[in-house]
Amino acid sequence: MTITHAERLQVKLYASATPPAGEDLVPVFHRWIREHVVDDDTLIDVVDYGHVKDGPGVALIGHGADYFYDESEGRKGLLFFRKRALEGDLRGRLQDAFTRTLEGAARLEGEGALDVAFGRDEVLVRILDRLHAPNDDASYAALEPLVREVAEAALGGAVTLERVGAGTKGPLSVRVRRA
Amino acid sequence: MPAKTWKSELAGRLPEELDREIDLFEGQIALRKQGKMDERLFAETRLRRGVYGQRYDNGLRDDGTGPKPLAFPCGELTKGPDTVWDAPGMQRIKIPYGKMSAEQLDMMADLAEELSDAILHVTTRQDIQLHFVHIEDTPDMHRRLASVGITTREACGNSVRNITACQFAGVCNDESFDVTPYAEAMTRFLLGHPDVQEFGRKFKIAFSGCDDHPCGLVTFHDLGAVGFVEDGKRYFKVVVGGGLGAVPVVAKVLAEKCPEEELLPLTQAVSRVFARLGEKQSRARARIKFLMQKFGIDELRRLVEEERKLLREDPRWTDYLSHLSATDEEPLRPGGPLALDGAPATFRAWAETNLRPQAQDGYYVATVTLPLGDFSSDQARVLADLARRYTGDTLRCTVEQNVALRWVSGADALALWEALDAAGLGAPGAGTIADPTSCPGTDTCKLGISSSRGLTGELRKRLTVLADDPVTRPLHVKTSGCFNSCGQHHVADIGFLGVSRNVGGRKVPHFNVVLGGQWTENAKSYGLVVGAVPSKSAPEAVEVLTRAYQEGREGDESFQAWVQRIGKGTIRKLLEPVSKAPSYEEDPSYYRDWGDPREYGTGDLGVGECAGEIVPWVEFGLTTSEQEQYEAQDLYDAGQHQAAAAKAFASMVTAAAALVRHLAGQVRDEPSDVVAAFRRHLVDTELFFDPFVKGKFADYFFRAFERRKFETDDPEAVHALLDEARLFLEASHACYQRLGATPPPSAAGLIQPAAE
Repeated sequence: MTITHAERLQVKLYASATPPAGEDLVPVFHRWIREHVVDDDTLIDVVDYGHVKDGPGVALIGHGADYFYDESEGRKGLLFFRKRALEGDLRGRLQDAFTRTLEGAARLEGEGALDVAFGRDEVLVRILDRLHAPNDDASYAALEPLVREVAEAALGGAVTLERVGAGTKGPLSVRVRRA
Repeated sequence: MPAKTWKSELAGRLPEELDREIDLFEGQIALRKQGKMDERLFAETRLRRGVYGQRYDNGLRDDGTGPKPLAFPCGELTKGPDTVWDAPGMQRIKIPYGKMSAEQLDMMADLAEELSDAILHVTTRQDIQLHFVHIEDTPDMHRRLASVGITTREACGNSVRNITACQFAGVCNDESFDVTPYAEAMTRFLLGHPDVQEFGRKFKIAFSGCDDHPCGLVTFHDLGAVGFVEDGKRYFKVVVGGGLGAVPVVAKVLAEKCPEEELLPLTQAVSRVFARLGEKQSRARARIKFLMQKFGIDELRRLVEEERKLLREDPRWTDYLSHLSATDEEPLRPGGPLALDGAPATFRAWAETNLRPQAQDGYYVATVTLPLGDFSSDQARVLADLARRYTGDTLRCTVEQNVALRWVSGADALALWEALDAAGLGAPGAGTIADPTSCPGTDTCKLGISSSRGLTGELRKRLTVLADDPVTRPLHVKTSGCFNSCGQHHVADIGFLGVSRNVGGRKVPHFNVVLGGQWTENAKSYGLVVGAVPSKSAPEAVEVLTRAYQEGREGDESFQAWVQRIGKGTIRKLLEPVSKAPSYEEDPSYYRDWGDPREYGTGDLGVGECAGEIVPWVEFGLTTSEQEQYEAQDLYDAGQHQAAAAKAFASMVTAAAALVRHLAGQVRDEPSDVVAAFRRHLVDTELFFDPFVKGKFADYFFRAFERRKFETDDPEAVHALLDEARLFLEASHACYQRLGATPPPSAAGLIQPAAE
């Protein structure tokens, strides 16, 4: 199954309660670049797309991966985007993405002035690789067990999965909820 | 099982030529990675595929405490001089005359989402740009674009760039005829044509169906074609040699009455003359406007006419004329009346600014206002679906960074707007003061000086109220982050041009305020700088100017006429309260740019403990030069052209002398002495050189002196000299900032006192 070759994927955790405005994240992300808070990647730039409704929000652009204080679906959250290939297969990339998203969320929550919190009960996973993972039933059937396995390990318990955006032109997506 | 590739997936589904070209480009990427292709050659190769550089691609980023290296894994590998291989870049996607299908928009949405940052950006030349793209992702991106009929070939580089045209072509109420098929034919004819491969610089072409409205903006293009009909036959007025950039030039008429069948051969002849005689060594003087200035329009016309006679007949010149209707659009739904009575007020407000009746009864062009030209992949898919549902493939990017949906039935307008609004695309104000445009500026452009997008974003928030007033509503506000003028500030009612200034030993982002540009009549005339304001004061500057205009205009006087009447001296007085940056201690926010928490450029400049108190003499000289430029502009406005030229040149001498004295201590005020000393101490040493255009601005000074431009009384030449003087002063400021308030010991030690 070619989905195991999929390289680009996103994992999003949703902000809870009253999330801060996107512009509040801009100085934080700039500082992350200055302080090299991600020690195995090069962080490059910060872009504020707050003027685009339900868009990517504030982007922290990196070489291998980006972090977004994302506003898509009309819900703010921390979205990790693995964009340059990691060695291994999709399972490994999913594990890495979950780990980094959770780490990123904890790091943002540690930014006291931001007063932001991210729930761990709901996660969106999107596979941004229409070559290896088109948004169709076969791809979802192959993706579902992988996501379940990785999510249960990362979130520490059983999860339920719900396919999102079936039949649309959007990417193959699955919503994970802790059972 | 080997992984699939886009190459294998799309095999046999791409146009043969495009497929071959993309394979070739992929091969060139491999060669460059192996060190088997020269970096300069590779740079031009990728540029011709639309693969462009982006800020920080030299591997350095100022984090607010000074430039710091960015550690990319590629090591020393480059994709051009000073351009790190792994640094993300920008992909420009040519959209000829802005027309795109729903399928194409869907594809660009997917690519933005997968390979960029999920944002599509509409440029002022009807392109779409994607940012933060890795070069190794570009061949597959090009394949996928080719699969829906898009080529990125010649989107950048020294080539014929995207051919633009009025977004209303074919549906406009007062056009002479639809220029779409001509723009399409020229796009196809020139793409990859051997006669356009040897240019020294880029070449931009625009079409318009009328002389009166600005949608085509032909007058600032290298070549522009304005359609008209006489005795039932179609002609074009062809203009040549226009351009914005550092010194804007209004195109001149090459052919008053070019028959339609002569349009392509005439353009081919112009291309051959430009390729043969245009400057190749100095990029700064390589656009065709310089060739026109060198020869004069009459001689250029003669050369083109001679060249035309030598051309071998090409059936493509006229084949398309037999099927001009091939580019016609068919409405998807029957036309109908627009019902505003009883509709929501928000819809009526949108309809007032964003719906324009077509020539065809019952149909409208709906302009989708895009803030800063940006829309997300999700929004792009919504737009594509709405086009499918209501209009068919009738989407066009506009030069004001919006997207137009043509052939909207009046009966569908409300439903369309509701769907747009639900997707965050239903904002009113298209083409008004609430819809300012901007180049990328410091956000992503490696040449940006100030944050044009940051300022424009702030203006969008503040100017909405001015769109409610019919007096200020039609004003155009445009911002460029540097002198290359991609934001087209020269033709705005209120334009901003990014510059930087030294205040108390620290850099402060500023914008020159450019007033008096004319957007109408195809951008007929360009504005002039009236002064500089700190970036953080620019919104107040707009408020000051618009308030004064609202209160002081006479009758239905245009903004341009008002500026002309009250004079730039009065305007400078109006702006005085917002022209000065407070000290850093008073308000450090002035020392950061819009939307950017980093201190602006302090990493380049050491700050001594007395920096806030001492004003070096050089700053007095630069201030005096600035004052002389204002006086020159006033003289120009008063019609005293020769005096204006002399004063403009004097301002250059003053600035040059200030820098010479800063470095070398002494020089007499005689222009010849200043020129010689300036050449010796600042040009021969390359201290004055701009990092990108090198000695271009110094050349303005030298040429003004050598050609005695200060004696001219030709209004156009004086206008150009005023622009050059302004740029020379900006370069002087930049040079002073690089040198620091105290000349570096290394520089001072190298320099001998000026010869007297």
